[in-house]
Amino acid sequence: MSGDGVTGRGYRPHRRTPTAAVARGVERRFQIAGLFRHQVNKVFPWHFSFLWGEIALYSFVVLVGSGVFLTLFYVPSMDELVYQGSYVPTSGLEGSRAWISTMQLSIDVRGGLFVRQLHHWSALVFLAAVMLHMGRIFFTGAYRAPREINWFLGVAMLVLAIFEGYLGYSMIDDLLSGTGVRIFSGILLSVPVIGTWLHWLVFSGEYPGEIVVERFFIAHVLLIPAILAGLIVLHLAVVWYQKHTQFAGPPAGEGNVVGNRTLPVFSLHSVSMLLGVTGVLGLLAGVAQINPIFHYGPYNPTQVSNGSQPDWYALWLIGSLKLFPRVDIAVFGRYTVPAGFWAGVAIPLVLILLLLAWPLVDRLRTRDRELHNLLDRPRDDAARTAIGVMALTFWGVLTVAGADDIAATVFQIPLEGLRWAERGALLILPPLAYVITRRVCLRLQRSDRDALAGGVATGIVEETTEGTYRSVQQPFVGVDPEGGEHPPRYDGARIPKVPAREHAEGSS
Amino acid sequence: MAERHRRPSLRRRLRHAVSLAVALCLLGGVHALLVPTAPVAQADDPALVREGRALYDGSCITCHGTNLQGVPDRGPSLVGAGEAAVYFQVSTGRMPLAEQGAQAQRKPPRFTPSQIDALGALVQATGGGPVTPSAEEARPGEDISRGGHLFRLNCAQCHNFTGRGGALSDGKVAPSLEPATPDQVYSAMLTGPGNMPVFADSQLSPEEKRNIIAYIETVKDTDGASPGGHSLGGFGPVPEGLVAFAIGLAALVGLSLWIGSRQ
Amino acid sequence: MSENGTPSERELDRMDVHELGRVGARLDDVEIVDDHERFTPGSPAERRAERRVAAWFALAALGGVAFVLVYVLWPWHYIGVGPQRTVTAWYTPMLGITFATCVLALAFGLTAYGRTLVPPDVAVQQRHDGPSPAVAQRTAAARLVELEHQTGLKRHRLLRRTVLAAGTAFAGVLTVTFVGALWRSPWPAGQLSPLLVTGWRSPNGERTYLRTDTGDPHGVTLVRADDVAPGGLLSVFPFRESERGDPDRLATVLRSADDAVVLVRLPPGIAVVERAGQEDFHLGDLYAYSKICTHMGCPVSLYEQSTQRILCPCHQTEFQANEYARPVFGPGARPLPQLPIAVDECGYLYARHDFIEPVGPGFWERDPRG
Repeated sequence: MSGDGVTGRGYRPHRRTPTAAVARGVERRFQIAGLFRHQVNKVFPWHFSFLWGEIALYSFVVLVGSGVFLTLFYVPSMDELVYQGSYVPTSGLEGSRAWISTMQLSIDVRGGLFVRQLHHWSALVFLAAVMLHMGRIFFTGAYRAPREINWFLGVAMLVLAIFEGYLGYSMIDDLLSGTGVRIFSGILLSVPVIGTWLHWLVFSGEYPGEIVVERFFIAHVLLIPAILAGLIVLHLAVVWYQKHTQFAGPPAGEGNVVGNRTLPVFSLHSVSMLLGVTGVLGLLAGVAQINPIFHYGPYNPTQVSNGSQPDWYALWLIGSLKLFPRVDIAVFGRYTVPAGFWAGVAIPLVLILLLLAWPLVDRLRTRDRELHNLLDRPRDDAARTAIGVMALTFWGVLTVAGADDIAATVFQIPLEGLRWAERGALLILPPLAYVITRRVCLRLQRSDRDALAGGVATGIVEETTEGTYRSVQQPFVGVDPEGGEHPPRYDGARIPKVPAREHAEGSS
Repeated sequence: MAERHRRPSLRRRLRHAVSLAVALCLLGGVHALLVPTAPVAQADDPALVREGRALYDGSCITCHGTNLQGVPDRGPSLVGAGEAAVYFQVSTGRMPLAEQGAQAQRKPPRFTPSQIDALGALVQATGGGPVTPSAEEARPGEDISRGGHLFRLNCAQCHNFTGRGGALSDGKVAPSLEPATPDQVYSAMLTGPGNMPVFADSQLSPEEKRNIIAYIETVKDTDGASPGGHSLGGFGPVPEGLVAFAIGLAALVGLSLWIGSRQ
Repeated sequence: MSENGTPSERELDRMDVHELGRVGARLDDVEIVDDHERFTPGSPAERRAERRVAAWFALAALGGVAFVLVYVLWPWHYIGVGPQRTVTAWYTPMLGITFATCVLALAFGLTAYGRTLVPPDVAVQQRHDGPSPAVAQRTAAARLVELEHQTGLKRHRLLRRTVLAAGTAFAGVLTVTFVGALWRSPWPAGQLSPLLVTGWRSPNGERTYLRTDTGDPHGVTLVRADDVAPGGLLSVFPFRESERGDPDRLATVLRSADDAVVLVRLPPGIAVVERAGQEDFHLGDLYAYSKICTHMGCPVSLYEQSTQRILCPCHQTEFQANEYARPVFGPGARPLPQLPIAVDECGYLYARHDFIEPVGPGFWERDPRG
């Protein structure tokens, strides 16, 4: 260490290294030394669940990178051509240029299939990570003031991401995705009053028209990604500016942030995460086939496969379509509101609005107007955790219903019985989930309080002076900042349930 | 109804007899010994029908009745079902049924090929019906992609894109085509076993059937040679979603646990 | 040091890098709790740790080289048949495995590096969530009020309203420019909307025949009454003799979204229920139904010949084929529209007229009575 000019007394940044020269040059032009030091010294709290948003972020990075590559080959066109590539089982078939160009990319471009599968796997994991991250935010109360804005941004990004994924799946124009577009068309048509007009707006005519793939393309590669990227930047800027939340526990409190500085540790974690996400997605892209459009064949509205499904994040919409009872409502004896409207438009819209409005609903529920930098442990707000599990259960039943024909095939369960069971589950399971979760949370709270009051069991049994035996409990002691001791209070930090070592030894 | 049904099958049998005769003349008796004898000859063989009757009385009579007329709530009539139906049901092990249930399951066949021929001869002798295709008739066709087109138009709605099977009503399923041999697929198209609709030669010509068989044979994932890695069962986005969670997200959460844990 | 914690120039001159770092941290309200060196510098333990981390990086480099080698050398071009096809099918998996080896080893190496060789650098930073200083709040608020005066927005009511009107109009201009060109009427004046008719409607009274799809988009194969076996089904499409010389039309009708029809022959002895007004639409035991599901428009051709149900593979609506294809299970609410069929003098099937109701998914303007 010594002798490198860094630790010696009287250090001055005189040395003529390239780094120093660049640093001086930047400083002379932007007077940025103070700001730079401030950002490098910024502290980020340290918890594994705080990295889940990064999984989503880096999946998005992989999506953009692989997506740019794909646009170099994909042709957004519904012109019908004859496929003449190397894939024998579809050669000579007519298909749209969109499908044919994707076939060329997958079969006749070196490494093309790898990048396409990388893109698709990234999309699936991106949405999974978004929802995981959102769950963490919800169950720890991180959306509370002053961070409601990031919740709203997050919900907006979730909805955009679902659309983005759906558009990407659809614009290949294979037999699977074409079936998905057909259902989208049916949902558009089902909207009361303006449905047919909306359909003509999007498809420029009757289904399927000749232009929808081009429109999906520009929305998929420019419009929505640009908005998403903008929202992501805003989302991160708000986190950076407001500083990250953290779990309680000495010395972490409302007024400070305990963790690592931007450089070096936080950045190392972050770059490791970026590489880890890229690596796992790359592995999936190689070894696990996804969306094999060569098996699906070109889209033809008169053909379909059993078990045609959307990607997982849209299964809940399909589940809603499947479970809703078959009622077409007549209005004024002249007009029709098809069942698909309630299942495909109204219910999803209500669910999304509820999700969006949650911080406001929560404020009405708790009447809490304080600013919060400390996270709750999920058990500490039993009602909120129970509501969250209830909502997830509702969504989960819809998702399972969306995939129930695959379950019926694989496990040979009668579909009709399954469907009725799902309808029942949709009504019964969510409230049940609420009750059970709430009880579990309250029970965990009590066990924490008991531990605080009675101490931790050390596993040591000692003989009392009366000749009876009792187990030795290691008590908790609260410590004031001044060093004085007081009875322990619960402050939202995890209660250790194993004895501290030196105490345990001391009592033996 | 039955009248209309019998006519083409008679024509077919005649045509087979004629083509067999021509083949014999052309290729000579030696070659004729190597070529499998055409099923139509067996159907008329009284000894074979008698053997079939004996097997029938032992294994089939309870459900299909003494005169093949069927037994209510047990088994359908086999009159006019044809040899092809027998071949499909018995060679795939679906018949005899293991138990009276929703749907006959594929299992190892109970009878030897010659016994199946005998049963087929019996059924063929009782009201005629579609005859079993010869290996030559069911040979995969040349035009795989047209077969794929027809497969997606006529078959995929039940059997899925690559023939992995699919759900029907009331717990019935369209089975996976993975274990099916070309002549079983051909027989199934001719006879419409179980819930499957019939695809008579007037609906799908023999050549179209052979092309469909060629497509099925190509997309079978028996040697894992489907481009792009493991096919995840070939059921599309649902298993893909499960993998995205169970492997992709799970691995990344694991990584976050490692990176985010304190040393 | 000066009172606000900033050291003087002189004091700075005497500090080493470590001390300067601490001063900087303090200025940023950061207190370093733990930055102990994990190893004695130069110790064997440190060198062992370094080797472990370096092993990951070396593996990453190897993975990268392997990726490039596989990318360039592995036979990649798709082969449909033969033993070689398994080798080429492994191209993408090999790319994935080598790619992941490179990137994941790098990720693990960096993680291990951070955990074993870099000091823990645990720090506590103070937040400043309190309100802005009073002077900032007051002056900012004052500036807002002052702006109101300066711009006169409060006084000039007319101005306010006209500016608002102009702004709204401008938004309208943008909307019209963008959406206007996309706006199409589903109900064009003077003609039937495509929502209400299908290709089965003959514009000039020419007979519309039933044609099958044999996989040859330009070939014409018509359907005879006895082509469909009992318990069989056939997908059929409209064809008029005048289209025979029009290869485009012949090909597109096989891909049209609402023309496809399933022709079903019920097995003998099936009890049939006809829908009022459609009693004569069938031809013997032949029934022709729209292939487009009335729920969301998927093609329904999953026909169970033992139960006489036609299933939709998308959302599993079940239509009863022998009871005017009425839905008996699932989310679809309306029966499949039935096409009236007849047989001509040569034995070919034709459609007597178009469907009497719109096919496919429901919509607002659809007459609920049928």
